[in-house]
Amino acid sequence: MKNKLKKYFALTRLGIIETFQWRLALFVMILGNLLYLTLIYFLWKAIFSSAGNDVVNGMTFEMTMVYLVLATSLYGVVELYIVWEIGRNIQNGKIVLDLLRPIKYKHYVFWENSGVLVVNFLVTFIPTFVIVVIMTKGTIPLGWNLLYFILAFVFSIVINYNIDFIVGTICLYTESIWGINIMKQMIVALLSGATIPLAFFPEKFVAVVKYLPFKAIYDTPLTLLMTRNPGWQTVISKLGFSLFWMIAISAFSGFFWRISIKQVTVNGG
Amino acid sequence: MNNIIELKNVTKEFKVLNRHEGLKGCIKDLFSRDYKIVRAVDNIDLEVTQGEIIGFLGQNGAGKSTTIKMMTGVLEPSSGNLIINNRIPYTDRTKNSQEIGVVFGQRTQLWWSLPLVESFKLLKDIYQISDENYNEMLELYGSMVDIETLLHKPVRQMSLGQRTLSDILAAFLHNPKVVFLDEPTIGLDVAMKSKIRELILELNRKKNTTVILTSHDMGDVDALCQRIVIIDKGNLLYDNEISHLKHFFGIYRTLKIRPRENVIEVANKLKDELYAFEVSITNDDTWISILVNEEKNRIMKVLEAVQETHAIKDMQLKEISTEDVIKKIYEGGVRN
Repeated sequence: MKNKLKKYFALTRLGIIETFQWRLALFVMILGNLLYLTLIYFLWKAIFSSAGNDVVNGMTFEMTMVYLVLATSLYGVVELYIVWEIGRNIQNGKIVLDLLRPIKYKHYVFWENSGVLVVNFLVTFIPTFVIVVIMTKGTIPLGWNLLYFILAFVFSIVINYNIDFIVGTICLYTESIWGINIMKQMIVALLSGATIPLAFFPEKFVAVVKYLPFKAIYDTPLTLLMTRNPGWQTVISKLGFSLFWMIAISAFSGFFWRISIKQVTVNGG
Repeated sequence: MNNIIELKNVTKEFKVLNRHEGLKGCIKDLFSRDYKIVRAVDNIDLEVTQGEIIGFLGQNGAGKSTTIKMMTGVLEPSSGNLIINNRIPYTDRTKNSQEIGVVFGQRTQLWWSLPLVESFKLLKDIYQISDENYNEMLELYGSMVDIETLLHKPVRQMSLGQRTLSDILAAFLHNPKVVFLDEPTIGLDVAMKSKIRELILELNRKKNTTVILTSHDMGDVDALCQRIVIIDKGNLLYDNEISHLKHFFGIYRTLKIRPRENVIEVANKLKDELYAFEVSITNDDTWISILVNEEKNRIMKVLEAVQETHAIKDMQLKEISTEDVIKKIYEGGVRN
């Protein structure tokens, strides 16, 4: 067990070192996020002022902004562009080398990218969170909710990775990536509450979306983070929902990969 | 003796879509169920014992790579039995990977932007190499190449030769039973080629590692292999000691010349003029190739004869190529 973890953490470690090699890329990413946040600030300011109400769909402007700022920085952590990576490796044939590791491919790709995740969490999410807490003075409670958030966040990472892995597996059949990946990004961004809080969607739409796994990626962890004293039932039902989808989708992605890899006709050579 | 690799009646077929031409054709292809079966590897038998170096030859598309991919476990054979190290590589790929090493020509398994030592440390952890074995291996590497400079150099700053060398060292690091080397010397200069050959030979001797080597360079095969396996169009064409073939390609050399006058005209004239030398002559746009059997005629004699009647701009002397060897086997020059 200990050795097994060592295998995986060795990949994380190297990922961290490699990410720090590209210092400039790190700064550019932070700058890009700031620009995006400025954009959504003015967008939602316009939405709220045209609504003429302080509260729209049960959310104040401040709450909406806090939600979106945190969602954006969370997006920077969770989105690992796995589909691109798998697709590229299939196209240029490098997948052969990764398949020949003494680690399952699904695990190998995850841990290979986990270093980026750690760096982004420390460099973008934590500072953003601290700034938001200080600026909003008490809008975000600091108590048990942090623990719930961490749990939901771990589930979120696994669910998002497995969705990516399933879409990446589809690339084995299509051998093309671009269209599939764009579609996946749009669907996830919309249905997970990453770009628009789910409260703003029409009721009938939400009635369907609330049963899908996507909301466990951004909506669930952020709701748990921002709710003061949510009550046991809420916490358990929300975390239970995420946990259920995490197990279900991991099982499915593993199964789908096993039947698909038979299709592989490795390119090149 | 125990076989480390055993292939019995191994066949691999691919299903390929029949593509149509043009815009109309490509829309048709979207819904087409018109597949053809391509047999890339056809009924191959092979047995390899621990510690052998096998030269795996064949033209491009002959089925070499497919066979190697089946041996490593990336591809599943369509039929037949394939055992590596008492395991079926395809069903047990993760475990099998623990005991094989691979170097695929121009691809690198090293971490591009980091010093080599970081990749080594990673391999140490994922292959669970003990400190003792790891240090022993590094010491061994140190006695063969200038490992210290390599270790602290980022992989992306390495020359192609240094990178290939590093990739080979990485493939041997966890002391695997079998190492697959696919075109390890491609694109390298003569000095680097010989350095890499020496390295492979020494690692094979010290660690008794089985090496499966594919190459287009007869020099590689000549320097490293005791045994040669030739695959052509998916079939096993030849499987025997190199000495059998060596006698053969050792005596054939290709003399390439570039005449001052028109290449085609000169080539045609030479066919008559060199009739007595029993050579075969081919030509492309700039070069005329004359394949000379040195047991019958000395190559200098042939060159002299050419020079007497034609002005030569440039000339080269080449070892026989894999393609020519295969051609000669078909012609019956060598018996299996």
